[in-house]
Amino acid sequence: MKPYSESSAKAPEPLFNKAYSHADVGNQDNLADSPSIEELLNHNANLWRGCDMAGQGIHGRSTGYPQLDSILPGRGWPQKGLIEIISPQWGMGELQLLIPLMRSVIEQGHWILWISPPHLLYAPALVQVGISTDQVLVVNLETSCKDALWSMEKALQTNNCGLVLAWQTWLPGKVLRRLQLAAETGKTLGVLFKNRDSKYSQSKMRLQVKGFSPQTGSFNKAEVTIIKARGNFQPLTTQLELYRHHSQHTA
Amino acid sequence: MKDPNGTSQLPLPSPFSGKAEVIKLPLRDRPSLALKNKVGKAHSKKPTSLWYAVYFPQLAELSESQQDEQLNVLAAPLENISDTVSFHPQALICEIRSSLKYFGGIEAIHNKLKGPLAEQLKQLALPEYFLYAACPTVTGSLLLARSGHNGLIYQQDNLRSALGKLSTDVLNLNKEQNRRLYNMGIRHLRDIWRLPTSDLYKRFGSDFINLLNRALNLAPEPTRNYVPPPAFSTTYDLPYEIDSLDRLLPVADEMLEQLSEFLQRRDLCTSHLLFSLKHEKRSSTVINMSLRQPSRSSEHLLMLLGTHFSNLTIPAPVIAAKIKVKKFDAFMTHSESLLSEDKSAKKQYSDNNLNQFMEQLKAKLGGHFINSIKTIAEHCPEYATQQMTYEKMEKIGKPYRVGQELKKIPISPRPLFLLEKPEQLVLRNGKLYHRKSIEIISGPERIETYWWSDADIRRDYYVALEQNGSRLWIYRERSGKKNWYLHGYFA
Repeated sequence: MKPYSESSAKAPEPLFNKAYSHADVGNQDNLADSPSIEELLNHNANLWRGCDMAGQGIHGRSTGYPQLDSILPGRGWPQKGLIEIISPQWGMGELQLLIPLMRSVIEQGHWILWISPPHLLYAPALVQVGISTDQVLVVNLETSCKDALWSMEKALQTNNCGLVLAWQTWLPGKVLRRLQLAAETGKTLGVLFKNRDSKYSQSKMRLQVKGFSPQTGSFNKAEVTIIKARGNFQPLTTQLELYRHHSQHTA
Repeated sequence: MKDPNGTSQLPLPSPFSGKAEVIKLPLRDRPSLALKNKVGKAHSKKPTSLWYAVYFPQLAELSESQQDEQLNVLAAPLENISDTVSFHPQALICEIRSSLKYFGGIEAIHNKLKGPLAEQLKQLALPEYFLYAACPTVTGSLLLARSGHNGLIYQQDNLRSALGKLSTDVLNLNKEQNRRLYNMGIRHLRDIWRLPTSDLYKRFGSDFINLLNRALNLAPEPTRNYVPPPAFSTTYDLPYEIDSLDRLLPVADEMLEQLSEFLQRRDLCTSHLLFSLKHEKRSSTVINMSLRQPSRSSEHLLMLLGTHFSNLTIPAPVIAAKIKVKKFDAFMTHSESLLSEDKSAKKQYSDNNLNQFMEQLKAKLGGHFINSIKTIAEHCPEYATQQMTYEKMEKIGKPYRVGQELKKIPISPRPLFLLEKPEQLVLRNGKLYHRKSIEIISGPERIETYWWSDADIRRDYYVALEQNGSRLWIYRERSGKKNWYLHGYFA
């Protein structure tokens, strides 16, 4: 039938309506023309599929690490929202993961706010990887937890902060939910760094970074596990080569 | 408010505010009216203005800009007696004829001025004396005051004879002109008047003739009037005591709205204001609000005030609130870009937004908790980075425009996290331990500096990997006990 095939070739939306309204749907002559199920599913914008890994669109921001991109839903960091990065000790490369993102944030003219980092943020290292310190703002470690969370919420709400990094221990679900909402309104990405994972955490995405011991791997290598991510069914793990961006920049 | 940024400007209320009506005079009355005036004039002369000059010879030693500044301060008391105050070199002159009757004679006016002027001079640390004179012309009174006669001439008819007595010094001529006048045998102003004008004009120029003519009311004397600096202060007495600051916000909103209107009328904005809360039998609580960027948006100010309130605990219920502006700034609006993709305009706008955010952060956390970082050309690792607090940033002005430091960064790897105080590592059986054992990956990088001072730094830096996967930056002292230290994390 003419109207049916036309619509299927064009766009998914009218097809959906037709499927119920048109009496000729079940007509046998039609089957040869009809697209495959996979095609229908992929082209229907109204349909959400539980597994983003099915390749339903690339809506994330590239992490700069192809291996990491391939296991993240949306093929990259989410545009907004809250991420938890868990590293048992500092120095696992947890910040290295974000370096390409930070660079793109700075290039867009946005600011990066660091809220109570555990140690002194070392400016020469930032400049080395190509992040201008002009747009970096640090809130001291001595700030009380309440004030730190307040500034995190405010920063997530403003449009100027492209990235908010915060070091916090366990946060109650209510607080996380609030930060999540703030991030959605400001269209900002917030990253929480933690030492310990808790499976009850309500963040949208949880990642774990691990370095290798001298015996099992090289200095540059790190293992990233996506413990939880909206759109992924199960934890996925990949191994990354860190510090590549380092050499790229200096060269 | 419809206009959140306060970009529009309200008109100043004109002195003839309200209705501007054309009043039609009956035409045939006019000639007779003019005639009547003419007749009246013949009998009683229309009183000319009387100018009162105050001369401060002690200001002559200061620089010009300082003089202007101090005259501005000294002009404030004169504002109380006259609405036309003008500035002259080391002198202030005001019109007092219109207020003679009101104050009850020139003596009363002088007595009224003496106290406040002396006080202002005292505050400026200047000798407490001044010369004064009054006569029907501005220049005349200035000359009289300079002569130190403290004279008073009511009538214009007497002006010529009074000024004639003055020495030529009061004209403030340059050396050459003074010498020429002296050699011509001229000592007093009246000697000048005996000479033909055209020749004087040739020899001394038009300025000289103008000055004399103005003194005798033969030439017009345009003056520029003093405009007092803007000041804003408003108090709101609450009908009842308020315990919670939240309930004060509507009042504050009202007051800030007033301020915003005041600023819009004058095309100003403010960057520093005080909001004080008065308590009964206690000193008032003062909130000091200094802004990163001048603003006049009442919404922004209210939001800042709200943030200040959330941090504040008041010792007693509030009975009154007061706003006082400490610093006014000229209003600068951001220019809209011609093309939609003009980056600089966009950036300016976002800078604007950011400033508001940073002000809020500062209001909540306090200035010393917010830092910006920058690199410094320095060999010693711990000195190569600098944290600058918000207060410092404000003082420097534009802190985040550094730029050239990119050239000075070291080539060898530097960790993102630096320990504020290096942590000593344990060396056991030839193996290093932090939490777990440590293996050196690369190094050493030798750093030797500060040998010229007591804090001699001689270190070998290594990049190391801990058993649990932590990447460390460690060093060994090359002098003393040769201990190992952990100095940073390659996070």
